[in-house]
Amino acid sequence: METTTSTTSSSKRMISALVFVVLGVAIVGVVGFTLHTLSADPQKPLYATKSADTIEIDGKSYPKASAVLGVYPDKATAAEHGYTANRHDYVQYGPSTHLVLPAHTYVTITIHAYDSGEHLNNPYFGKVVGTIGGTINVDGVDVNNIPSDNVEHTFTLHGIPSTSQDPLFVNVPLPQVKVDDKDNFLPTNDPGTNNKGHTVTFSFITGGAGDYVWNCEYPCGDGTYAKFGAAMSAYGYMSGKVTVA
Amino acid sequence: MSNHDEELTPTPGQRAINLFRRTDVQRALLFTILWTAVFVILGLYFYPKWMPEVMSRDMKAMERIIVGFTVISAPIAGLVMGIATQAITNRHKGDTPPPDGPAIRTNGPVVMVWTVVSGIFCLIAVVWGIAELNSMALEATAGSKEALHVQVIGSQWVWSFKYTDLGVESDKLMLPINRPVEFEVTSEDVNHSFWPLQLGVKVDANRLQTTVADTVPTKLGPIDVKCAELCGLYHAYMETSGKVMTTTDFNNWVTSNGGHVA
Amino acid sequence: MTTLHNTSTHARPIPNPKKSLITKLNMGTGIIVGVIFAFAAYYAFQPNADTAGFYNQQNKALLAAMLFWSVGFLIGIGAFIGPFRWLIGKDLTAEEQLYLAGDGQGIKRYFKYCTDHKVVGIQYLVGVMAMLAVGGGMAMMIRTSLAVPGGHFIGASVYNSLVGMHGITMIVAMIIVATGPFGNYIMPIMIGARDMAFPRLNALSWWVLFTAIPVLCSAWFLGGIPTGWTAYAPLSVQAGPGMNAFVATILIFAVSTAVAGMNITSTVVAMRAKGMKWNRVPIFVVGATMSVALAIPAFPTFMLAMVQTATDRVFNTGFYDANVGGSGWLYAHLFWIMGHPEVYVILLPGIAILMEIAPVFVRKPLFSYNAAIMGFAGIAGLSVLVWAHHMYISGWTPTLNGPFMVTTEMISVPTGLLFLVMLGTIWRGKPWMKLPMLGLFAVIWNLLIGGITGIYLSDVPADNYLHGSMFVTAHFHYTLMGAALTGAVAGLAYWFPKMTGRMLNEPAGYTAFWFTQIGFQVLFLGMFIAGAEGQPRRVVSFAAMYKYSNMISTGGAYLVGIGFIILLWAVIHSWRKGDIAPQNPWGAKTLEWTVPYPVPLENFDEAPIITSDPYGYGKGN
Repeated sequence: METTTSTTSSSKRMISALVFVVLGVAIVGVVGFTLHTLSADPQKPLYATKSADTIEIDGKSYPKASAVLGVYPDKATAAEHGYTANRHDYVQYGPSTHLVLPAHTYVTITIHAYDSGEHLNNPYFGKVVGTIGGTINVDGVDVNNIPSDNVEHTFTLHGIPSTSQDPLFVNVPLPQVKVDDKDNFLPTNDPGTNNKGHTVTFSFITGGAGDYVWNCEYPCGDGTYAKFGAAMSAYGYMSGKVTVA
Repeated sequence: MSNHDEELTPTPGQRAINLFRRTDVQRALLFTILWTAVFVILGLYFYPKWMPEVMSRDMKAMERIIVGFTVISAPIAGLVMGIATQAITNRHKGDTPPPDGPAIRTNGPVVMVWTVVSGIFCLIAVVWGIAELNSMALEATAGSKEALHVQVIGSQWVWSFKYTDLGVESDKLMLPINRPVEFEVTSEDVNHSFWPLQLGVKVDANRLQTTVADTVPTKLGPIDVKCAELCGLYHAYMETSGKVMTTTDFNNWVTSNGGHVA
Repeated sequence: MTTLHNTSTHARPIPNPKKSLITKLNMGTGIIVGVIFAFAAYYAFQPNADTAGFYNQQNKALLAAMLFWSVGFLIGIGAFIGPFRWLIGKDLTAEEQLYLAGDGQGIKRYFKYCTDHKVVGIQYLVGVMAMLAVGGGMAMMIRTSLAVPGGHFIGASVYNSLVGMHGITMIVAMIIVATGPFGNYIMPIMIGARDMAFPRLNALSWWVLFTAIPVLCSAWFLGGIPTGWTAYAPLSVQAGPGMNAFVATILIFAVSTAVAGMNITSTVVAMRAKGMKWNRVPIFVVGATMSVALAIPAFPTFMLAMVQTATDRVFNTGFYDANVGGSGWLYAHLFWIMGHPEVYVILLPGIAILMEIAPVFVRKPLFSYNAAIMGFAGIAGLSVLVWAHHMYISGWTPTLNGPFMVTTEMISVPTGLLFLVMLGTIWRGKPWMKLPMLGLFAVIWNLLIGGITGIYLSDVPADNYLHGSMFVTAHFHYTLMGAALTGAVAGLAYWFPKMTGRMLNEPAGYTAFWFTQIGFQVLFLGMFIAGAEGQPRRVVSFAAMYKYSNMISTGGAYLVGIGFIILLWAVIHSWRKGDIAPQNPWGAKTLEWTVPYPVPLENFDEAPIITSDPYGYGKGN
């Protein structure tokens, strides 16, 4: 085929092509890193406080660690407790939804709950699973289950089973705070009133290092289908990560 | 193309011999054989290697089909690639078009044979598939009386299992060996898909519907349970583990979890 | 063959109809009116006391804004001037019509409501390349996130959106990748027509599609879509405000495909040159027409599915909500009744392009034109009867799995005929290994792998294992990307000289070809392995056992990415500075190579008369 002579030299073409490829890769890279940053947890991870104590369980000794979380019905309540990182006015856990726990440790988590509720989609999540003794401590009383119409939120920790990380499944239902509770567990942080919601404490033993997630199984998203929209489907509100390191 | 050939009127046998004397035909045949071997090895060696351990009768059927289809289709795939490879070895280089090839517009017998043979292969696949489906259905009916009933509930993003006859609920799938099991699968919210990997069972979980799947675990060992239908934020983490255990171990597990052995 | 120099159309005076509104309107006015409409609708549909009973106020306002943007844009660019003038009895004058065809307006006409099919073809080409680039970029991010187990690179909700946005962007791009640029630019010339049957509808199909692009992009700023491109209900009903963008995109796109499909079909039926009987129609035209004709019945069901998704979301109609008597299976049916024909809508033009290319580059007639027709027709016909193979494991009526397995596997017979045609054409020829021809060999391999893995998936018991796994993802990328996209790129290399007047840069083209094809094999081999091992698709994180297969995939993906960037460079560079192309660089016999570049406004000075099919190559023909 006859062609007219090329208008650019081949070395110039080569450089232009290389620059183009580098630019193209750079653009995709920049967009990728932007998404990486935007999709990251808005809050700093919460590191469990390690203590010098150890505890003996089934003849094995474990170091102890603890962490404290809160569940707030909205942004304003979370802000009252000092947690302001989240953008949307959703129900949310705080201070962070990313927990970092030490491996092979007896971890005790305390959750302050300040929210009311209706009932669970799946009553199974009213049952306590995976904690030491199969119980949780609610305001000083040990229970192994909360009726599904009295659950407010759950802390359900799970992960991808795999040969490279130990299984870890913990389900903790949190009781509702009712406005007409006779003990007046009102959702308030006002030091003048004597009660500040419910306090739930539980412990479990972590395995080796691994990546897990947790989410709430109580349908507390917006009114869309199954109430699992909005807060439930947005990362960093009623769901998060657990890193065992 | 055939006018000239017919004027020479060689016998069909001679024509066949002449055909196979042509170097392009020989080369295409050689490539066909090589490619067929590649596909057969892929089917016989690699698929079983990649797929997880076979732990139920259904999983066995699935692996058999995937391996079988690969091996059966190997000669056809080999022929396609053989002809293509032969053409590449005969390529034309340069900036001007190649010389004209033979003006073959069609070849009735070739089209007919190709269509019929591909129809036969299609028929084999269909008949085999239906036969497997049928035998699975028969085995399910045969085993349904003594079957262990497990209610599988998908919630965004956790599986839970209710052993209705035994009074046990769990987040792990525990099964006794060699006993038929019937999964009654449902969902509390959006669509999920229940997938115990090594058992070769997969069935969707739909809101207010119970879909049934059954199998017989035939081997002891761990099971991975996954969700195979995108179900929102933590779809990837909607996984759990399980175990096929001996009947004694299973009964112990049931009683230690507050259930009663039927 | 002759070297061609610019015989300028500028020699003619530019038509300048005084006082005509059409001379004032362009993309800019369209955007202005569209944005005004969008904001007006957004505020008009805000919640108030009367509508407080409705389900989700934000959905209503957002959806209204998106649809009104599209209508406003079309008003602003002047899409309705013609029909309106016709309505009041003052149809456009001849000069106005010429102006509308973009006569002599140079680069400006690409930004106007231009009725020239060649302008529309270029608009589609540029639009498709932009969509593929964006969709490809998202694929790179998905693979980066999957490079190692744990999914640390991109968070779960953004990852899920990436998967869905990559999917829908690519599906929309692939539906128009061949019939848009080549179906509009080349096809009318190929059949000896002066333009499309309905030039104004042709412009409408492009500009309607154009309005869908910003709508789809807006999903990113509204929280993304969590559903994947299949948008299964009830997950789509649960989804956040980003889902409105998906719904609106499909509603708009369905209008565009209906208009384009009807126009292309009418053109081929009614506008063929004298003597071009049905058995003399170039095979690309046959394949492209069957593809768009198949889309005409297929897309309305998707549109309907989206209308119901929208009403479920806005008014809580409950079509897909089992709690009030709806069904998610209803959605799955409506979706796949579109969805399976749709994959053949994508595939057929790609294969048809290669069948057009093969005879030219081996200098032999197309082998068994009839088998090609029968193959296309068989696939198109069967494709509407197989949709429920996507629902084998849904639990919906398992007794029908057998019949759907039979219809699905029957598709292997017409598909086999397509292979026969391609192989028969290259058999005993000396293939001229130019870029378009390389595409043919790549597609033979890719479609073969896609086809065989398709047979496993069509089999109910095997699908019980493979459904919803990475194996499926790899399978349909082999058919859609490996076959259909490669075919379309081969078409671009083949028709580039006719569409741009220049040759596509060969060294860059070859480099791009090997990068993309080798990368592609590595990428999806890894994904086949991950699928066979049991990795579900659309997961942000996976177990450590899938580590190596995913690592292989990601490596391959980067090669593909670099390959496509090189291809993009080759296209941009060659378009601006490439070697001037002769009128018929490949020595082909179809009509588009008989016209010069730039192609005159009405293509042919004298209407061509056809006396044979365009495949008279070879000795003794």
